[in-house]
Amino acid sequence: MPANLRYMHLALVGLGLGLGPTSTTAVAQSGIHTIVVESPVMASGETMPRTYTPDGLNLSPPLTWRNLPAGTREVAVVCADFGAGNPPPWVHWIVYGIPATASGLPEGLPIMSDQAMPDELAGAVQGHNGWQRPYYRGPAPPAGTPHLYHFTVYAFDQALLLGPGLTREDLFEAMDGHLIGRGELVPVYERFAAPE
Amino acid sequence: MSDERKPRGVTRRDMLRSAGAAGVTAVVGVTSLPATAETPPVTAVEQTTTSAPMAREAYEHLTVDEAVLLEAIADHLIPADEHGPGAVDAHAVRFIDRALGGALSNSLDAYHSGLAAFDRYCRSSRGGSFTSLSHTDQVSALIDVETGAATGAGAGFVGSSAAFFGMVHDHVLQGTFGDPYYGGNANFVGWDLIGYPGVRTAVTENDQLRLEANELPPFRRSAYEWDNFEKASVNAGRKGRRHGD
Repeated sequence: MPANLRYMHLALVGLGLGLGPTSTTAVAQSGIHTIVVESPVMASGETMPRTYTPDGLNLSPPLTWRNLPAGTREVAVVCADFGAGNPPPWVHWIVYGIPATASGLPEGLPIMSDQAMPDELAGAVQGHNGWQRPYYRGPAPPAGTPHLYHFTVYAFDQALLLGPGLTREDLFEAMDGHLIGRGELVPVYERFAAPE
Repeated sequence: MSDERKPRGVTRRDMLRSAGAAGVTAVVGVTSLPATAETPPVTAVEQTTTSAPMAREAYEHLTVDEAVLLEAIADHLIPADEHGPGAVDAHAVRFIDRALGGALSNSLDAYHSGLAAFDRYCRSSRGGSFTSLSHTDQVSALIDVETGAATGAGAGFVGSSAAFFGMVHDHVLQGTFGDPYYGGNANFVGWDLIGYPGVRTAVTENDQLRLEANELPPFRRSAYEWDNFEKASVNAGRKGRRHGD
């Protein structure tokens, strides 16, 4: 089975759980605008390159977005695996305070405190993931079980002025009442058992 | 924002405060690791294929390549920086090597297998040995080992990679800050680093006041220079030799 179809059932499950991008009808009903989220290196339903996982360099992947709603003042990004964590999801990455002028995140955001964010992301902060680390750590699912990784982009109608160290739950609490747009990219990753 | 929500620091100062965070830096070249414990130790004068510094002394239970890799890891955990010497200067790996013949003998296989697995993991994920990687890639690899992400990467860690990291982390701390009698904390650099004033069997009120005023000079003696402390058997095979030699 082609790789891009192999995981299609997982994407459909994700959509069924309401975890995928909202439809146009849902936008009209909820008022949350749909942001288009893309990447030059991966696509929804397709396998994430190992460069962005601990099987490779474990760099944060490049993301782009467009169709931000009018009035966007700030953007945030969260990468979460709803098939892991107790309770789910397991958060792999959280970035907030992204200027509304940014159109994406470049590959390889800093993992050390003495490394600065790129100029176009001035003010952006990497919050605490599930390991309580302020940087991206990629997929490491148990061998033989593909997982979906939801890279979700959020747009807010004002700058939330958030400090460092926030978790996904903290961000959700802060964004309450200010969320005006949302979009998602959902690649897949699977590890395979080492040969005997 | 409350203090406990500050990002976990990767500076040595943060690590020394918490005695729990992982710090990071970089060291030097090493060839691929042999997977055997039977390879005899070699002195530091042996040349490798790189021009990088080598393990600085003879080890009894770690091979040269294992010792160089372990020193590189230790140098990330407690690096030398503007605050002072680090784990390598404290000879933390010497402590570990000696203890692997005694109190830590149960960990000997874990070190051999873990260091070999870490070497394999670095090569498969980052394209080279740990000490050949860039500083950032070394940090990244160590983070993946620490968080357990390296466990399922096919490198062959016995158990979780996080368990291996935790073991090394704990022993590097012991080797840096423990009593020099056991082979680490060379020249008391570890005690000086954290401002430990030294073992004193009696402390006067004046001593306490001077300590609080940061005016008490350190008393650099091993606890085992007092007869009333029982010497532990670090290595039963080191007959006729004092620990800390």
